[in-house]
Order: sequence, then C-alpha cells, then structure tokens
Amino acid sequence: MSSVFDRAFEFLFKYSPYLYEKGRFVMGSPWPALAVLGVGVAAVLWSYGRARDMERRDRAALALLRSATLGVLVFCLCQPALVLSTAVPQQSFVGVLLDDSRSMRIADDGTPRSDFVAGAFSPDAALARELADRFKLRFFRFAESAGRLSRVSDLAFDGGQTSLARALDTARQELSAVPLSGLVLVTDGADNGQGGEMTDLLLSLKARSVPVFTVGLGRERFARDVELTRVEVPSSVLKGTSVTVEVRLAQRGLGGSSVRLQVEDAGRVVQTQEVILPAEGESAVARVHLTASEPGPRTFRFKVAAHPSEPITENNQQDVLVHVTDDRQKILYVEGEPRFELKFIRRAVSEDRNVQVVCLQRTSQNKFLRLDVDDGEELAGGFPRTREELFRYRGVILGSVEASFFTPDQLRMLAEFVSQRGGGLLMLGGRHSFAEGGYGQTPLADVLPVVLEEGRAEPGFLAPLKVEPTAFGMTHGVTQLAATEDESAARWKTLPPVSTMNPVRRTRPGAVTLLVGRGEGLQAPQVILAYQRYGAGKALAFTAQDSWLWQMHADVPLEDMTHENLWRQLLRWLISGVSGPVALSVSPERTAPGTAVTLVATVGDERHVKVNDAQVVAHVTEPSGTPRALPLEWAVGKDGEYRATFTAREPGPHEVRVEARRAGQALGSATAHVQAADSDAEFFGAEMRRPLLERIAEETGGRFYTPETVASLPSDVGYSGGGATVQEQKPLWDMPALFLAVVALLSAEWAIRKRRGLA
Amino acid sequence: MRFALGILVFLGALVQIPEALPRRGRYVPPREAERREFRFTRAVYGGAYDGYFRRSWATDFPKADRQFMIGVRRLLSHLDASEHENPVRLDDPELHLYPFLYAVEVGHMSLSEPEVEGLRRYLLAGGFLVVDDFWGSYEWANFESEIRRVLPGCRIEDLPPEHPLFSAFYDVKEFLQVPNVGNAMMGRTSERDGYTAFYRGISDDQGRLMVVINANTDLGDAWEWAERPEYPLKYSTFAFQMGVNFIVYGMSH
Repeated sequence: MSSVFDRAFEFLFKYSPYLYEKGRFVMGSPWPALAVLGVGVAAVLWSYGRARDMERRDRAALALLRSATLGVLVFCLCQPALVLSTAVPQQSFVGVLLDDSRSMRIADDGTPRSDFVAGAFSPDAALARELADRFKLRFFRFAESAGRLSRVSDLAFDGGQTSLARALDTARQELSAVPLSGLVLVTDGADNGQGGEMTDLLLSLKARSVPVFTVGLGRERFARDVELTRVEVPSSVLKGTSVTVEVRLAQRGLGGSSVRLQVEDAGRVVQTQEVILPAEGESAVARVHLTASEPGPRTFRFKVAAHPSEPITENNQQDVLVHVTDDRQKILYVEGEPRFELKFIRRAVSEDRNVQVVCLQRTSQNKFLRLDVDDGEELAGGFPRTREELFRYRGVILGSVEASFFTPDQLRMLAEFVSQRGGGLLMLGGRHSFAEGGYGQTPLADVLPVVLEEGRAEPGFLAPLKVEPTAFGMTHGVTQLAATEDESAARWKTLPPVSTMNPVRRTRPGAVTLLVGRGEGLQAPQVILAYQRYGAGKALAFTAQDSWLWQMHADVPLEDMTHENLWRQLLRWLISGVSGPVALSVSPERTAPGTAVTLVATVGDERHVKVNDAQVVAHVTEPSGTPRALPLEWAVGKDGEYRATFTAREPGPHEVRVEARRAGQALGSATAHVQAADSDAEFFGAEMRRPLLERIAEETGGRFYTPETVASLPSDVGYSGGGATVQEQKPLWDMPALFLAVVALLSAEWAIRKRRGLA
Repeated sequence: MRFALGILVFLGALVQIPEALPRRGRYVPPREAERREFRFTRAVYGGAYDGYFRRSWATDFPKADRQFMIGVRRLLSHLDASEHENPVRLDDPELHLYPFLYAVEVGHMSLSEPEVEGLRRYLLAGGFLVVDDFWGSYEWANFESEIRRVLPGCRIEDLPPEHPLFSAFYDVKEFLQVPNVGNAMMGRTSERDGYTAFYRGISDDQGRLMVVINANTDLGDAWEWAERPEYPLKYSTFAFQMGVNFIVYGMSH
C-alpha cells in the first residue's frame, strides 16, 4: 500500500517522499515574482469588478480561480528547489549486511527468502551493480555473530540464531574509519540472539549519522502455521517427581481445530494430549504431566503434528532439558500429638527414595518421638533452635501443634525459612493448627496462604467435607489424580469425605486455591488446599485433618493409590525448586555449539546468608568427558552472586558443577546441564518482523524496503547525507503536480463560464 | 480359696457381658459419632465361647478397655483419646475408621469368610492389629490357622527386643509373662503349655508391621485388674507400658 502511495507521490512531486524528508526546500528570489502576482491579481479584481452583469457569487469564484492560477504560475517563477546532500560517486562506503541464519531458508511463497539475497546481491544483479556504481561496498554476513563476507555465494544460511544488534555494531565498528553513507540490513528480522541492547545501539548509530536501510524478507503473516511458542518446565526436578509442564501454542489460520500434542523422552512417546487451538492472537495452554524417571540430564521433546499447508514445521516442536536429580531431600514434620495423619503420610512416601520425612512427634508433655532421623544427634534437643539447624531441611510440615510450642525466635525462623531460605512450609489441619493453634498473631500468619480469622472455632467444631478441586486444581500436577482432567474429576467425586476442625474460608491476595470442601451447614466452601509464594519460598495450607481416610476408608479399593500419589506429589512439590546454600543457573540452557554460556552461582553459608568472599569453581564436563575448571568471579553488584562464561564447544550435554569454599571450608555445590545442539530458534517467530525493521530505519534516518520497493534503495542511500557528499539542488518548478493544478484551475473556470453562458 | 475366687470371677464376668452389638455397622458421619483421634477399638469376631459363657472376643470387656484408656489418657497426655470402649465387628466397614485394633482370646477365634475378608482389607489398607491373651500350642495353632486365612503366605516373625515397637514411648527392656488375675494371685504366670511369653509380628510386603502378637501372656487382664492391690504392680506396669508403646507405634508407623 505504501509503495503505491510512494509511487503516486513521486509521480506528482517528481521525487520520492524520502528525498523530501532528507532535503531542504528553497526558493529563488521571490520579489519580482511577487510583484508580478500582485499586478496580476489587481488586474483580475479590477476586471471582474467592472463586470456588473454577472452575479456577485460568480464573479468572486472566477476571480478566485484566476488568481489561484496566477499564484501557481508565480510559484513556478520563484524557482522552487530541493537541496540535498548527495553522495559523491565512489567516495563513500556502504556496508551491506546479509542475514545468514537458518530462517532465511523458509520458503514463504514457494521460494526461500535466501533466493532474494542471492539474486539481488550477486555481482551481476541490477541492484548490486547500481549500488556498486555509486558506492564502495563492503559485505557482511551475520547470524549469532557477524563478520566480513568476500562473496555472496559463500553464504550458507545455517546460523542457529540471529543477533541484529551485534551485526550492526560489528559493521559500524569495522567501517568507523571510512566515510559511510549507510548500512543496508537484509534480513527477515528474526532477532533471537543475545547480542546486546538494540535501543542503545540505535542511539549510537543516530549520533554518528549512520542511517540503516532495512530490507525485510518473508511474509508478515503466514497463511497457516502452528507454533509451540513456549514450554515451561522446571530446570531441575527430583527423580520420580510428577512435573506439570505448561505448553503454549499459537496458530495462524487454524483456529478452533484440534491438534495432538506429543511428548517424547529419549525418543519414547510418554504422553499424548489433544489440544484445541485458540483464536488468532491468543495462546492455548496445555498442561502436561510428566514423570522424570531417570536421573541425569533428560531431554523431553514436545511436538504437534504438522498441518499439510504449513510453510515451516520446525516450530511445531521444542526440546527442553531437565536435570533430574537423585538426591534424598529432607522434610521436617513437627506433630504436636499422636495422629494417624502422620502415620499415613509417612506410609504414603515410605517408598519414595528421594524424600526423607524426618518426624518430631510430641507424645506427651516434654516427650518426643523422633522418626527417620539420620543419627542420634538430629533433633535430640527438640525443634531446631538455630537457623543453621532448621535451614538444613528443604521443607517443614507443621501438624497439630500450637504456636506456643515454639519460641518467638523459632516462629521468626520459620517465617525466614520460607522468605529467605526459600523453603517450603506446609501447615496441616488439626485441633491445634491455624487460628485454633494461635497462629493468628505470629509471623506465620503472613506466610500462610489463608486468612486466619480472629476468633477460634467453637469447641467441638468439626465439619465433614466432600473435597473437590477448583478449576486450577483440575489441571495442577499435585491435585490431578488421573491422566485426564475428566478422569481426575470423576476420581475426586468418589473419594470419601474428610473433616476439618479449622474453619478457613478465605485465602490471601495472590494465593491460589487448589482444593475446596463442601458440606452440609457450611455457608461457604472450606479452603482445603491453597498455596502462595512468600519471599523466596512457598507456603501451603492443607486444612483437612484426616486425609488418611482416602487410604483407609472401606470405600477405597486396596489397589487405589490416590492417597499415596497425592501426598507424594504434594511433598515433592513442597520442596521443588528449593536449593541448598549454593545454587547454579545457566543461560541459555540450550545453545548452538560454539556459543557462549553464562554461569551464575548464588552462594550462601549454612544460614543462607549470602557470601561474597568464597572461592567458586565450575567444573565443566564436556560430552566427550573432557573436564574443564573455570573460576567464577563475584559480581560486585549483587551479594553472593558469582559469574563466569564458557563456550560449549562440543555438541551434546555439558555437565556444570560448581563448588564453593570459604576459608578452606566447603559451603556447598550445585549441578546444572547445558545442551549444545543445532537450534531451531530461527523457526520460532519466523514471520518477517516489519515493526522492528521499520523502527531501526526510522530511528537512524534510513528507510524500510521490501523486495518490491527495493529498487529505489541505491538512490535513497545516495541522499542519506552520510559519507562524502556534495550539495545538490533539484528544481521543483516542473513537477507534474503544478501543471495539473493549473489545468484543473483553468478547467474549473471554463466550466463555470460555460454554465453561465459566458464562454 | 481357688474355688471361691473362680466363683467371684464368674459372677463378675456375667455382669460384664456386653449388650448386643448392632448386626452390622454403617458409616456414621464423624459429627454424629464421638469423634476422637483415637478410639481403643476391640475386634468383634465369631468363635467359641470362653470358659465363662462369653464370646471369646469379649474377654475382659469392657472393664479392661475402660481402665486401659484411663491410663492411656493420663500417660499420653497429648493424645486426643476417647475414654469409651469401641467394639466393632471385623466385617463392619466402620472398622476402617479406626486404624488401631485390639483382639483377645484369638486362640478360640473362628472367623467367617466376611470377617476374614474384612480383616484382610483392614490390615492391607493400613490398619494395625494387636492380639493378646491366648495360651499354649493349641491356641497358637488355631490363631495361626486363622491369621493365615486372613493373610495367606504371611511370615510370622519374632520381634527382637531392640525393635522400635518396644521403645516407641517406654523403653522396655525386660519382657514379662503377664498372668491373668487368678494365676497372679496364686503366683503362677503361665496357662496350659504356654510357659514362655513371646512377641511376634506380621509385616506387609514393604516390611511395615501390621500385626503384633502377644502370645502366652495376658496384657488385657493386667489392665483390667490394675486397680486391685493384690494384682502385682510389676505386671500391670509392664502391660500399660507395652500397651502405650503399641498405640504410639501404631499411630506413627
């Protein structure tokens, strides 16, 4: 559309809008012409003033038209012109940056985008010749990195990522010492690399008067396409954990149709699910439940079958790397009285090798039973009195134990356990829990995801409840009891009722409710299971007191694993994402071989207080088994944060293990994995990104082109003002628009005269 | 003297014959029942009568249960325990609401098929059974035969003194043979050919203890007669310690 407008504009006004934008409008000496105009207008007015036989309105119109005609002619006599800075032929340089990434292979309209590059910029092509006639050309190729290109035919279009900022910066630096008329950026605009901040670079180019002329390749909208836009999965999980993965899908031209989402673990299909595609512009979210059964780095592939008419199918699948750990992580369960709930929770997770529930159960006054402790020392003094002791656990469960059991400092420690240490806290229902346990005025009141009412329940309050999942609980990995949502909902309906002694009706803002209970006589549903993030950790509330009935009740078949699965999933979720004193993240987790990977380690002591004077070393094991040691440096801006960068040279999984020490004492270690493999990132968001390319052109003083409009590129670059230039004056008196204006004015005058019988 | 004591015990037992139980229980919502965390539940099962015209299951009932719970409520001060007895039939689905079960005189036990099935489901679902007060090789053989109907192929193993069961609350080091009240007064501890008390257990496939067997000993009588000055204190003390250990262990393992 804009090209039609540009052509029409150029026809009428002799030059393109871009030249008017770049040029300066001037006129020759106007006074003689103005004198002529004055005399002419006076003559017109005098002449029509004497014509008394005409109506006053006609006389005014004819006088106006004749004066306007005179005005146009006088404008021509004023010698209007456009002054432009024109590049001196062969005195200026132009950098031509050609996209060499894989997305250039996409055949939007039957031919690959790369065909335009090969056709338009080969030495004998018209566009290249025209550019070469005016400028000294320097070619660059770019993908995740950029460099000089000796021949266009050397382009392989195999780059795994594209960084436009890095490409522009490289060309600018290389050509900084020569007179530069501009940069020509030929790309589809898929900017998915890590090449730095585009905004800063554009300001820099503008400051140096380096205009960027962008040539956008490919379609702005595919006719039909399905894309897995995002797969959200925790980077590290415990072996055997049921992981809920959120898969987001977008589409073009296929709204409302159904696709099959398939999940593969090392080539083996482990899950399939039907997904209804959303309307255009919206995302469909599919929640997939996976069990990470094998320890080590696991690559899960999520994919949907390609539609026959899709131009690209590479964006129909994504691989995600999950680090499956086989640790045994400890949860501290404090119970204030002998309760069957403790027995059955222990029983439910007894077969779970990765979760150790250490119990401290008060059986009588000042008498405690310790279960599953590591040694005679653990919890020998009762509930931990120091942060070092408490923060060794990843999660804490509080059973029916009143707040006054703890000292004020222990209550603060529990709150910090969640907020600072990042642990998981779960409070169970019971006669000494929640408000009934006196937690309303303690630091835990803010931590818990439910509102603790001011008054306690009446003595003897006990509500039988039928539990059901909320809409969110239907799809959550913890509360989904069967493979599908329908089966899960049906399963919840068959479970026997449980009871609560803690009337809890409201959750805190930001908390999410997964389960509610309904029963006779209850005004509002009881919140059974809710959670919220609190500081670095999360807090859960489970208000039922006898979930063991889901295992023990006569209506529950012996082979039913609902109770076991629910508690296993719940406790694993409680401690998922809870790290030790040393944590490690890698970015990106999946990258092309030969590219840089950033390691960020967070180091704390046993109280999880950040440490800035640690010696932190990363041991990188390459796929071939070659080890590398890499020191990490403290990032001065952030307490306890250490950074390093390494290059993933070989394809395959790289294991990264960081070890932190201080004063010879080990603080801890952490492991992560990086998958080096050819990336399909180029095929995601692969439509031509016109807004980005237009922004680059506009902010630097360049212009955006498509293959249809690119013919004017050489002349436009010539008038960019950059490089070695001379002032050129382009006359405007002979522009067709002026001639057409005179013709139109005279025709209108003649038409009036004709109608009035004056012609 | 012995005859007079026997008459006394007989008359006492007659008084204690419990009222008829409902034929078959049904699930009672907790609000309507006495809902406590722990109810000392006695297994009601079919079988022969004991020597005093009572059903075997009802031996020492309900005084032993009540007296035991008086002690338990004092000793386990944080346990929310009912003070009342709670007899439940083995084929009653309500049994599953009480994961701790006590059975006596199992030497005379003769289970019907519904009772076998009910007890099997109860134990495999997570129930914990303590059997007590049966003596000699004949009664052992009867119990073993019945429990193998319930748990075919189960392994009955001696519980070593260091088993956590015996230190769940009280650290029991010395294992006594607890006599019934009559024998205790006469200075005897054994009955029939059950000269040595032993403590055995049956575990599930995961090694979780689900049945505790007190053979050739009578903890129930020690609970029942604990208030009697003539009943030796050491037996009733031991019986209470063992009973409390069973409860604490059964509620945590």
